[in-house]
Amino acid sequence: MHLGRLWLRDFRCYEQVELALESGVTVVTGSNGQGKTSLLEAVAWIATGRSMRGVPDRALVRAGTDEAIVRAEIEHPEHRVLVEAAIKSVGRNRILANKQTVTRRRDLSEHLRVTVFAPDDLALVKGGPGGRREYIDDLLVNAIPRFSAVTTDYERVIKQRNALLRAGIRDADDRRTRDVFDVRLTEVGAELVRGRLDLIARLAPEIGVAYASLAGSAPGFATAYEPEWHDGPLASDEVEVALTEALARLRKREEDRGVTLVGPHRDDWALVLEDLDARHHASQGEQRTLALGMRLAGHRVVADAIGVEPVLLLDDVFSELDSQRAMALVEHLPATQTLITTAGALPEGIRADAWLRIDAGRLV
Amino acid sequence: MTAVYAGPVQRLIDELGRLPGVGPKSAQRIAFYILKLAPEDARRLAGSIVEVKEKISWCRRCFNIAEGELCQFCQDERRDRTVLCVVEEPRDIVAVERTQEFRGSYHVLQGTISPIEGIGPDQLRIKELLTRVRDDGVTEVILATNPNTDGEVTAMYLARALSESGTKVTRIASGLPVGGDLEYADEVTLGRAFEGRRTLDP
Repeated sequence: MHLGRLWLRDFRCYEQVELALESGVTVVTGSNGQGKTSLLEAVAWIATGRSMRGVPDRALVRAGTDEAIVRAEIEHPEHRVLVEAAIKSVGRNRILANKQTVTRRRDLSEHLRVTVFAPDDLALVKGGPGGRREYIDDLLVNAIPRFSAVTTDYERVIKQRNALLRAGIRDADDRRTRDVFDVRLTEVGAELVRGRLDLIARLAPEIGVAYASLAGSAPGFATAYEPEWHDGPLASDEVEVALTEALARLRKREEDRGVTLVGPHRDDWALVLEDLDARHHASQGEQRTLALGMRLAGHRVVADAIGVEPVLLLDDVFSELDSQRAMALVEHLPATQTLITTAGALPEGIRADAWLRIDAGRLV
Repeated sequence: MTAVYAGPVQRLIDELGRLPGVGPKSAQRIAFYILKLAPEDARRLAGSIVEVKEKISWCRRCFNIAEGELCQFCQDERRDRTVLCVVEEPRDIVAVERTQEFRGSYHVLQGTISPIEGIGPDQLRIKELLTRVRDDGVTEVILATNPNTDGEVTAMYLARALSESGTKVTRIASGLPVGGDLEYADEVTLGRAFEGRRTLDP
């Protein structure tokens, strides 16, 4: 699967542009603020129906216009799909795949999949647990679609249960209501935790391999799931029991604080390099390399699960790495279409299949 | 949105905007449609709103909509009073009736447990359900709430509340639409159906 042609109209700083993309590695150059990242953002939008930078759709529509148009021709081994999106500053977007309306955002992933690395992915290692949870849950949904319902269910359970605790547990009715939410939290929460445990077990060796190939050495990489509500290691078949016990143990504290303290929405997982916790003790360079390794490992795991290599979008990745690691990255890139943006000079000896130069929203 | 139209028009827009699924823009569009209506059409619309509030109320027994004390199903002597199908809303009855399979009676909860909206078991017709089960010699309660988080939690609450009654409590199954093709099933439903697979007796 790869992206063939791409048309943008009134998307971010692009008035109108048409590109033909190669199936190998394309390097996109240009100064800062010229629209390199926006190009990747348009590609990611076609795959996911949302901005990879987490901004609302109206921010994607060029100032002074009502809608942005992105059209992408995607080449599959046996067929070609034209995905067309009208992204509105107000109102509902319109998305077509081969002229058929696409109603659900997640159906877009049938036509195009992407793996995105962005500079702020450093937060995957350095930032709070929320980013790591989002990373693992996104991969889970991508690898096993059923988990999109599990995560949605779980969020709803937590929202409802928090509302109940916030209002206060005052009588027998409230206690019985909490009891049934506890059962539901245990069922759905355990499914989510088990999914994460399985996925982390598959990811960990891939992260180790990706890190080693980037760093040029093979430090020991290890990881461990860290539920806030459980001490010590947690095995897949113990999750339900552990959740039930924790709910009983923390009942009083949850009532006092009016919030759900037990469940996968509170969890983290440790990233260990050479026996040191990389979240706190690694150097900035090591953290950047590890974050990139996590994205590449996620790419590998999703590609193995779905049998298709997603398109790789690497935003400003060279500014993050020394020239040795940059070279190692290019040498070890997955065999898939890859778009790399860069503002600065390229590491010497980098081979690319195509070059694009962007200047003020134009191709030059 | 601030009031920009003459009193009566703005009042109509505000009232329409309180309806479910109607935003300010739609409210405005509907209001102007009503302004252009022939007087007799407008009067008929207004009349049917008033009429429905005057003539229709909740069935005393099952809390379905009723044009009198009892709804059409509770009036029907041929319906089995010992089997109850519990649904969230009156419109769910219509869906179950279309199956032509169910000859028992209904009980409408008029919602689901939802702490976000401040709805606890107290705000639903649960006490009335327990009374019916006890007094009417009910042998089976079928829980037909929606297969989403709120519906599942409500069903579980009811199953627990009914456990002391000794009555058989069942939950409708969820899975693939019958008669459809596997290839058109969405991956979530199909994934659930795989999880709920059963042994086929030869």
